[in-house]
Amino acid sequence: MSWLALVRGIGLFLLLVVLHYTVRPLLGMRVTADFLVIAVLVTAVQVRPGVAAVIGLLTGVISDSLTPLSFGAGALALSTVGFSASWLKAAVFGDNVLLQAIFIAAGKWAFDVLYLVAERRLSFAELAVQLAFWSPLSGLATGLAGLVVVALFRRSAERTR
Amino acid sequence: MARATRSGTRADAVVLAGCVVLSLLVTILPAPLRQSVAGAVRETFVGPLIRLQAQFERARGAFIERDLSAARLDSLVLRNADLTDMVRENDRLRALLGLGARVRSAFVPAEALHRPEMGEAHTVIVTAGHEDGVVERSAVVAPEGLVGTVIGTEASTSTAMLWTHPDFRVSAMSADGSAFGIIGPHLADAPARFLLELRGIPFRDSLPAGMAVVSSGLGSVFPRGIPIGTVLEELETGEGWSRTYLVRPMVMPADVTIVMVLLPMTERNDLSAVWSSPASADSARQAIRRGADSLAAPAGGPPVTPGSRPPP
Repeated sequence: MSWLALVRGIGLFLLLVVLHYTVRPLLGMRVTADFLVIAVLVTAVQVRPGVAAVIGLLTGVISDSLTPLSFGAGALALSTVGFSASWLKAAVFGDNVLLQAIFIAAGKWAFDVLYLVAERRLSFAELAVQLAFWSPLSGLATGLAGLVVVALFRRSAERTR
Repeated sequence: MARATRSGTRADAVVLAGCVVLSLLVTILPAPLRQSVAGAVRETFVGPLIRLQAQFERARGAFIERDLSAARLDSLVLRNADLTDMVRENDRLRALLGLGARVRSAFVPAEALHRPEMGEAHTVIVTAGHEDGVVERSAVVAPEGLVGTVIGTEASTSTAMLWTHPDFRVSAMSADGSAFGIIGPHLADAPARFLLELRGIPFRDSLPAGMAVVSSGLGSVFPRGIPIGTVLEELETGEGWSRTYLVRPMVMPADVTIVMVLLPMTERNDLSAVWSSPASADSARQAIRRGADSLAAPAGGPPVTPGSRPPP
């Protein structure tokens, strides 16, 4: 990985983290794109699985600091999702745009599953509704947003090449 | 080559295992320790992000209220200049005689930062901390009534437990002072989950539907007289010695963006008069709105105290 690619990757990651704390409160909706998951997934496919797990852990700690009663759940979910994404990248993350969107949406849904189970707050019925209804919608929104991010990132990378 | 790949994969697996174990350890830490670790992260790395989030939530609030403000402006334009002056004068007098004068202890206006989509919904981050005088167990209120209590403070932020939290309790009484009990969340499935339960009302006392319930001031955590909700109906609990009532809350936490943190009481412990009349409730609302405006001023200013007007 060249220095330019590294700097661009870090810049994109930070931009997505900032978007997470600006766009979402601005929309204030229950179903919105999860830019932290996109940041971890997009970074994970560029690095080794172990590094992706650590990035997921740190991102999760940042996210969890706003929800102290479930502190650790986001870190667990994001490190696992980051590791899995990095491990699966060769199999899934190619040039196919649709596959990329599905990959990001699935990553968001997997994050929700791990997060909500680790958090142990919802009852079984609430968990089922969340995972069967709200999480897929969030996954869809995250997948679409991720698609835009990846497309823009690729275009800028090709331009500077 | 193959051996190097295998050892690399093993190292990755070890790192993942380390991350998972660390995360799980954090989730089972005692709550105060978790709170302090989260607070430290929040005050250092996440501080700028929280400030950004607060600004964007304020922008959203302004956008939502834009139409309302425009409608109000249109109505005002229709009035003549004298009437407008009188309204302004009235507003000023109300503000002077309102919450700021009635609440003897100081209060701090702050914003409540929610996490809208999923996960923990029983706490919010409040953008005022111990630098502003906020201490643990300070009451958090909105113009309509009780929101929750502070469970952890950092320099510039605090964590507030909302009344929806399963551990939330407040000593309460009927508005006429005839019956006392303990209020807690109604732990049922949604949508009844967003109701409260008033427990421990002596069997000889019965409360009619629609009776207002306020904090009783017993226990010295919540001042007396903060509106909590109104009685809906009696619940069948099987307890022969006391009654339990279902209570509709005055405040839905999800709708609250601007709150007021009451600082430790110094002179009196009764806020009944603050919410007792429409005029004072209106003043409370205006005081909180002014407080919200003052949040735009540079951080670190002194808390709003009675008699002092927040910066415009």
